[in-house]
Amino acid sequence: MNRGGLVLLLGIAVGVGTHFVYFRVHEPVYTDTIDAQLSWMKGELQLSDAQFARIKELHMASNPRLRALATQVAQMEAEFAAFENTRRTTDRVDFIEFARFVETRRAISQQCLDSTRRLVLAAASEMTPSQRERYLGIVALDKQPASPLTN
Amino acid sequence: MPSPPDPLDPLLDRWTESTESAPNLAPEVWRRIDLIEGASRETAGFWSELDAWLSRPPFAVLFVTCCALLGLFLAEVRVNRLQREHGSELAHNYLLLIDPLLRADPAARLP
Repeated sequence: MNRGGLVLLLGIAVGVGTHFVYFRVHEPVYTDTIDAQLSWMKGELQLSDAQFARIKELHMASNPRLRALATQVAQMEAEFAAFENTRRTTDRVDFIEFARFVETRRAISQQCLDSTRRLVLAAASEMTPSQRERYLGIVALDKQPASPLTN
Repeated sequence: MPSPPDPLDPLLDRWTESTESAPNLAPEVWRRIDLIEGASRETAGFWSELDAWLSRPPFAVLFVTCCALLGLFLAEVRVNRLQREHGSELAHNYLLLIDPLLRADPAARLP
C-alpha cells in the first residue's frame, strides 16, 4: 500500500480510537439507587456538603414511609382492577364496597401528598433561595394529574 | 549494352511518391490522445492527488490531528446528549422516589 493510503488509514484509526476512549471515560454511569439520585441532585442544585448531608438524611428518614405508602397505593390499584374486572364480567357493582374503597384510596392519596409535601418543604428549607427555586421547579415537573377518584 | 530492368525500380518509384495526408489528420490525432489521457486522468486524478498530499509529512500530521479532533468532538456531542437524557431520567426517578402516587405501577393506574 502506498504512503498516502497508510496515512489515511492511520487518521481514521486515530479518530475512531480517540472517540471511543473519550466516550468510555466520560460516559455517564447508570445507577438507580437513592444515593445516585441524591448525588445527581447535589450536582444539579450545587448543594454544599453540609446541605447534601442534611437533605440526604431527610430523604433516608422518609424513605421507609414513602415505600410503605407506595405499596398501599399499588394494593389499591390492584383492588380497583379487581372491581373493574367484576363490573365487566358480572355487570354488577357493590356500591357500598366501592364507596369504602374510594374513601380508603382518598385517605392514602392524601397521606402520600402530605408525606411528599413535608419532605419537599423540609429539603427546600435547607437550600438557598436560588437552589429552592430550581428544586421546586424540578419537583413540579412531570406531575401527573390526580385520579378523579382521589379528588 | 543496356542492363536488364530491375524489378525493384517500379516499386521504388512508387515509394518516392508523396501521398497526400488528410487535411485534419493532426488535429484528429491530438484529439484522440487528449481523449484517452483525459479519461485516465479522471479516474486516477483524485486518488493520486490525495496520495500526493498525504505523502507530505506536514499534511499527514495535520490530517491525523484533524481526525483525532473530529473523534473527540463527536464523542463530546454524544456524551452531552447522554448526560442530558440521564439527567432527565434521574429527575423523573427522583420524583418517583418522593411521590408514592407516581411510583405505583403505571399499568395498573386508575383511569
